[in-house]
Amino acid sequence: MREPSFLMKTLEATSELHLRTNRRPQEAPLGKKSEIAEPQPIHAPIEAPLRRRVTGGFIVAVLMTVFIGFSSWRYARLAAEDADWVVHTYSVMDALELTAKHVIEMETSARTFALTGQDSFLASYEAARGTVAQEEDALRHLTADNPNQQRRLDLLEPQIGAALKFAASLVAKRQLLEAIPSDSEILETERLIDAARATSQEMKADEMHLLSLRTQKTNAGRRLTSFIIVGGILVGAALLAFARLAVNREIDVSTGARAQISTMNAELEQRVEQRTSLLQSEIAERKRTEAALQQSEETLRLLLDGVKDHAIFMLDPEGRVVSWTSCATRLLGYQSNEIIGQHVSCLYSSADSESGKPGLELERAILNGRNEEIGQRKRKDGTLFWAEAMESPLFNDSGALRGFAKVVRDITERKQTEHVLVLQAEHLARTSRALQVLNDELELRVSQRTTQLESSNQELEAFTYSVSHDLRAPLRHISGFSKLLVEDFGERLQPEAKQYLERIVHGVRRMGILVDELLALAGVGRHKLNVGYADVNSLVNEVVTILTPETEGRLVEWQIGDLGFATCDAVLLAQVFQNLIGNALKFTRSRATAVIEIGRIEDAGQLTFFVRDNGVGFDMKYADKLFGVFQRLHRIEDFEGTGIGLATVRRIVQKHAGRTWAEAELGKGATFYFTMALPAEVQAEMRSTGEEVQL
Amino acid sequence: MNPHDVDILLVEDSPDDADLAIHALRKEKLASSIFIARDGEEALNFIFCRGEFNDRYFDHPPKLILLDLKLPKIDGMQVLRTIKSDPRTKAIPVVIMTSSKEERDLVSGYDLGANSFIQKPVDFDQFQETVKQVGLYWMVTNQPPVRTPTQLGLAPEALTTT
Repeated sequence: MREPSFLMKTLEATSELHLRTNRRPQEAPLGKKSEIAEPQPIHAPIEAPLRRRVTGGFIVAVLMTVFIGFSSWRYARLAAEDADWVVHTYSVMDALELTAKHVIEMETSARTFALTGQDSFLASYEAARGTVAQEEDALRHLTADNPNQQRRLDLLEPQIGAALKFAASLVAKRQLLEAIPSDSEILETERLIDAARATSQEMKADEMHLLSLRTQKTNAGRRLTSFIIVGGILVGAALLAFARLAVNREIDVSTGARAQISTMNAELEQRVEQRTSLLQSEIAERKRTEAALQQSEETLRLLLDGVKDHAIFMLDPEGRVVSWTSCATRLLGYQSNEIIGQHVSCLYSSADSESGKPGLELERAILNGRNEEIGQRKRKDGTLFWAEAMESPLFNDSGALRGFAKVVRDITERKQTEHVLVLQAEHLARTSRALQVLNDELELRVSQRTTQLESSNQELEAFTYSVSHDLRAPLRHISGFSKLLVEDFGERLQPEAKQYLERIVHGVRRMGILVDELLALAGVGRHKLNVGYADVNSLVNEVVTILTPETEGRLVEWQIGDLGFATCDAVLLAQVFQNLIGNALKFTRSRATAVIEIGRIEDAGQLTFFVRDNGVGFDMKYADKLFGVFQRLHRIEDFEGTGIGLATVRRIVQKHAGRTWAEAELGKGATFYFTMALPAEVQAEMRSTGEEVQL
Repeated sequence: MNPHDVDILLVEDSPDDADLAIHALRKEKLASSIFIARDGEEALNFIFCRGEFNDRYFDHPPKLILLDLKLPKIDGMQVLRTIKSDPRTKAIPVVIMTSSKEERDLVSGYDLGANSFIQKPVDFDQFQETVKQVGLYWMVTNQPPVRTPTQLGLAPEALTTT
């Protein structure tokens, strides 16, 4: 019985393992705790059950592994044993087979020898007989573990013995007796062989039955082992996975905690650094403030000492001096030891201090929060000066009067300047008044002059009128009666007398023209511009028509361009053209064909007209004389004229805010230009009425 | 000169001018019945048949009045105004003949109803020509309105001579 002992052993081993592994959970956490417990105090509540679970998992995993290992080992053992048993069974069966075979061989050989007497069969008989004995021993040995087989072997051995004996008897009978076995003997051998064969067959069947039983058992054990292995592997894998998860989680938690700790550490360090730098800067600030305070105190002291014309000092609530500055010393003459404790009224004139003014001012300062005054103050040496004084009350935290700050400023210079300014202002006012008087006088004079001018203008007008009327009449009479003299008494007059009379008439005619033209020139001055929009071409055509008598018997080529329109006094513009065209006709008289061009130039908004002729022209060096009254460039015998026509032209053009000029060359003709612009007031008037001015 | 049958009344204070005008008119045979008034008053008396002319009849008004402006007593403009503002006389053609060509005279002359305005030229030939033309036009060419004193409702008065 080998199997039960084996099972017992394995059970013992398993329980031993169990005991051994059970000890672990008590040991492992100790080591672990010493490592992790300190840095992870925060996670202690989470850690304990987890660790228990992890430990349990590990234990189960180890047990599973051991159990799987054991099962595998047992399975291998079972397989090996199984194989042994199969081999054993087949060995038994082979031995049975051989035994049966040799028995049959021995019997048949013996029988055949007995029948034939041939020695070869005898030899076979001998050989078989020898092995059968050996095989019997081997069988006994092989089946020693199996009592059933032993029992059958016990049955078989006599059968074989009987067969051997019978065979030996047959052989012996032949050898010795040369007897041939009978049929009954032969049948006997058959019966002996069959019996032995039957027993061995029985034994064989028993062995086969045993084999199949064993195989069944082995298969069952194998299935169980396979199930255990697979199940164990699955459970182990699951446990490992769980363990891995748990460990990972633990690692995560621990990593997180570590990160948190390091963050907290960093924050802490930063806070410490901040606090440190804050403290440092506070210290630096305090140092700076102290320095600044010192500096400002120094500055204030310097300022107070350096202040010119100001005395700054403090009074106690009763008005006694409690602090004094060097600027106050400079202004008021008192040293601080002389003045401190004195009442402020010693700085006022005696009259002021007797009237109680100093106290009043302090009261006013308390009442209004401040008191200012300009008045006289007294120095130590008794001299008075003009000052601007200011008192401010000082209160302590509880609102009680602590004293006064007082500032006294020397404004002597300002007073002087003010005085000078007043004097200057007075002077200015006087000057201004004088100017006003002068201005009034001037205006009066201007208006008087204007009136005078107006009246002299009227006189001039009257004079012009009388010249017109009274001067022309006698001229007419001279002319008329001279003519009548010639008409009525011509036959009785000598030719020379007649000629003189002609000269008289001629002179009178010239004088008449002169008077008329002078009147026209004067008329232009008095003429009020009657501005309109004139068609210059039709205006010029009219003038040419008027002058037609002048062109009788002459060849005149008129070149009249597009003259457009002009805003002007049409009557006066006609007069201008009449004078200029008249001149052109006059000075071209010597030309076979007179060419007279009348045109218009428009340049940059400036409208210019011109009258050009191919006449005798003039020397340009006299051009400046051209437009003067009574100025002539030709002899009267050559060209008649009064020297007033161009003066009139200029007068008219000037009235239109234009100008006149001429270009000429002696013997080659002349060009007279004039521009037309409108007087500003006329333009303004036209703009205001919305009319467009086109020049 | 017969004041009752006057064709032309010449109002002129200057005898020289008057002589020259008569000379000029005579040349054209227009001077047969000219009456010369030497001042404005005389001219108005003549026209309105009063004063020394109260024997004149309104039914023989002058066919033409040649009026100088600068006149003693009553000036030419006043004479013109009086003539032209009276319905009995306003139809008589009045030609102003003056030395001056004063614009204001011209304008007011026409305003008051003058029929022509002529400046006496200095040159006698021109003067003569002007007078001739004026005389011919108003005396010959122009057709005066036919108005009898009866039509005008005036009683005939005795004629006197100067």
